[in-house]
Amino acid sequence: MNRKIIHIDLDAFYCAVEELHDPTLRGKAFAVGGKANRGVIVSCSYAARQLGIHSAMPSSRAVRLCPHLIIVSRRHGDYSTKSRQVMEILRSFTPLVEQISIDEAFLDISSLKESGETYARILQKKISDELGLPSSFGVASNKLVAKIATNVGKASQGKNDYPKAIQAVPPGAEAAFLAPLPAEALWGVGPKTAARLEDLSIFTIGDVAKQSNEDLRGHFGKVGPDLVRRARGIDTRKVQTSRVAKSVSKEVTFSRDTTDENKLKETMRWQSKSISKRLKKSNLTGATIKIKIRWSDFTTISRQSTLPQPTNNPDPIFNTAIQLLNKYWKPRRPIRLLGLGISGLQSPPRQLTLWEIPKYDNQSNLQAAVNELRKRYGDQSIRKARDLDF
Amino acid sequence: MKASVLQENLALGLGIVSRAVSPRSTLPVLANILMATDEGRLRLSATNLELGITCWIGAKIEDEGSTTVPARTFLDLVNTLPNEQVDMDLAVRTQNLNVRSGASNTDIKCIDAQEFPPMPVPELDGGLEFKVSELKEMIQQVVFTASTDDARPVLTGVLVTVEGDRITMAAADGFRLSVRHSKLAAPVKQPLQAVIPARALSELARIAGDSDEMVTMVIPPERGQVIFRLKDVELASQLIEGTFPEYEQIIPNGFKTRTVVSTDAFLKACKQAEIFAREGSHIASLRVSPGDDTQTGEVEIAAQSEETGSNETMVDATIEGEPILIAFNVRFLREVLDVINTPNVALETSVATSPGLIRPLGEENYLHVIMPMHLGS
Repeated sequence: MNRKIIHIDLDAFYCAVEELHDPTLRGKAFAVGGKANRGVIVSCSYAARQLGIHSAMPSSRAVRLCPHLIIVSRRHGDYSTKSRQVMEILRSFTPLVEQISIDEAFLDISSLKESGETYARILQKKISDELGLPSSFGVASNKLVAKIATNVGKASQGKNDYPKAIQAVPPGAEAAFLAPLPAEALWGVGPKTAARLEDLSIFTIGDVAKQSNEDLRGHFGKVGPDLVRRARGIDTRKVQTSRVAKSVSKEVTFSRDTTDENKLKETMRWQSKSISKRLKKSNLTGATIKIKIRWSDFTTISRQSTLPQPTNNPDPIFNTAIQLLNKYWKPRRPIRLLGLGISGLQSPPRQLTLWEIPKYDNQSNLQAAVNELRKRYGDQSIRKARDLDF
Repeated sequence: MKASVLQENLALGLGIVSRAVSPRSTLPVLANILMATDEGRLRLSATNLELGITCWIGAKIEDEGSTTVPARTFLDLVNTLPNEQVDMDLAVRTQNLNVRSGASNTDIKCIDAQEFPPMPVPELDGGLEFKVSELKEMIQQVVFTASTDDARPVLTGVLVTVEGDRITMAAADGFRLSVRHSKLAAPVKQPLQAVIPARALSELARIAGDSDEMVTMVIPPERGQVIFRLKDVELASQLIEGTFPEYEQIIPNGFKTRTVVSTDAFLKACKQAEIFAREGSHIASLRVSPGDDTQTGEVEIAAQSEETGSNETMVDATIEGEPILIAFNVRFLREVLDVINTPNVALETSVATSPGLIRPLGEENYLHVIMPMHLGS
């Protein structure tokens, strides 16, 4: 049986949210991002895109390119609230929702009666009516084709406004739909792979699909056959309702390149705490500590070290990170960005029980309730009495 | 009431009963010890309404009578008196107890004995008789396994089952289970089952001493109580209501690996591991490697700490079956090994996520089931 997968992408999500706050922005060339000299564009309106602005562009360059560009600072709370509301609407249709970023998700509606296109229209209207947000959809028999369909749909719309596209690919037509697209549109094909494909006179996805597994394996190793399979529109991955994190990390770009050891240490201490908090929240521990250093000339190194046993406490994470920093940072060499991450995630050891013990459920219920309160009313809303200052 | 006792006897008696005193009760008299003349002796009693302990001490009685003395005050005083005779005289109207010993002269304000809850008077006929030493060992081998969490009251108790000439004590906290059997001197007519608070049994074991005397256990019908009677001491406890889990089905009835080690060596290895496993999860891993023709089997007991360091100990073992890596709460291991008296102990395991079974080698009357810890995945 063919699956029915919908991919949803909120159009210029951050900008759309900003427009809700300030309707005068509508139609103007504006971008959401950091205004400071090190700021980066997070999202830009379609009018701005016409002027060559794109996300991840340093704000300073964007302003040089387009002096009239309005830059709006990001307000994070609002974006995640809106995102959550969108996901709630999606989940009211099916529990099989896989959120892949703040503004993107997959839905598996195979068990529902109507066509994917019909549901896409209903969802698009509902999200627009209830939340005032524009969205685009791709519908296909798998995740890969659905996502590409969204991109194709968006590209086919007018360039000056939110695309609000809905692009469906009927079952059986996947390979034909993909064939004319440039090879780079395929997942897993970045600029480097694309260049090597071009050397082999492979330009479109259709060209990739024509290759034999062996040929591409010869050139690209074990990812070769994967590319061929994807190019033929085959993707059996399920819509995963809960995603398992593989790593947790924090990065900080300094507002000015720094050689201040104390500042670096402080940053790492904060990063360790923040990582520890996230690990504990998802009841995970990690063993491999990785630091990332970007020097002022943008060259970047990553170095890692593995702990004898997994942890989710801030101190061992911090100590290991500092050891790595001391080993690879030459004092007085300015650092632009400092990242700290942990991988090798696993659940912490736990005592197994001879039979179900309700107490432990109560404990985790309590923790869940506390987490929920903190999420809704802030970290300080509920605390242990001993942490209170009188 | 007027009586004379030896300081030594009074201090001993007060020490025994004071464990049942309830110092923070809403009923002030429960912070006191009942002292009454009783057929030429002095009877001391304390209760917290769940547990009551009575002790008789030799005394020279001049006037019969009774009162209740504040436990803390009395105990502190008596412990500092010289090892001589203590003369006590109660002024009934004022409930003022005059205590004299050597150069010391004290007046203690007491509460009328009428206010003290009546202590059960047991009918000792038909009681079960044990040797104190045997009962004490039984208690020590199971009582540590009882839960200390009041969320499930029945697990804070020890299930005592008597059938024919066999008595069984079992305790389980959800992570481990101890079962100890013993033979009675004479079979009982009626099978019997009761859940006795672990705390009461611990107190009993503490009081019982190491003597060869006998102890009588009585569970009077329909009273929800158990009474233990030693020579000069009586301990009464409320039973715990509720259904004890069916523990028989928890006991594994097969194994893939059977590891026999020296109890002492295993215990020492666990104690070392515990130093490093103490903070956090108490986790220690056991790597069981069967030997071959040229080499004896070995168990590596290992623990690590983020702060203090790590420890590994190899223990020689006779191993039957497959190698296994299994992790346990090392405190649980140490606690059970502490109460096993045989020179060797067997650990039977199947897979890293199913319960292990620990038995003293050559003793059929005890077993301990322990659930492993799951190493993250």
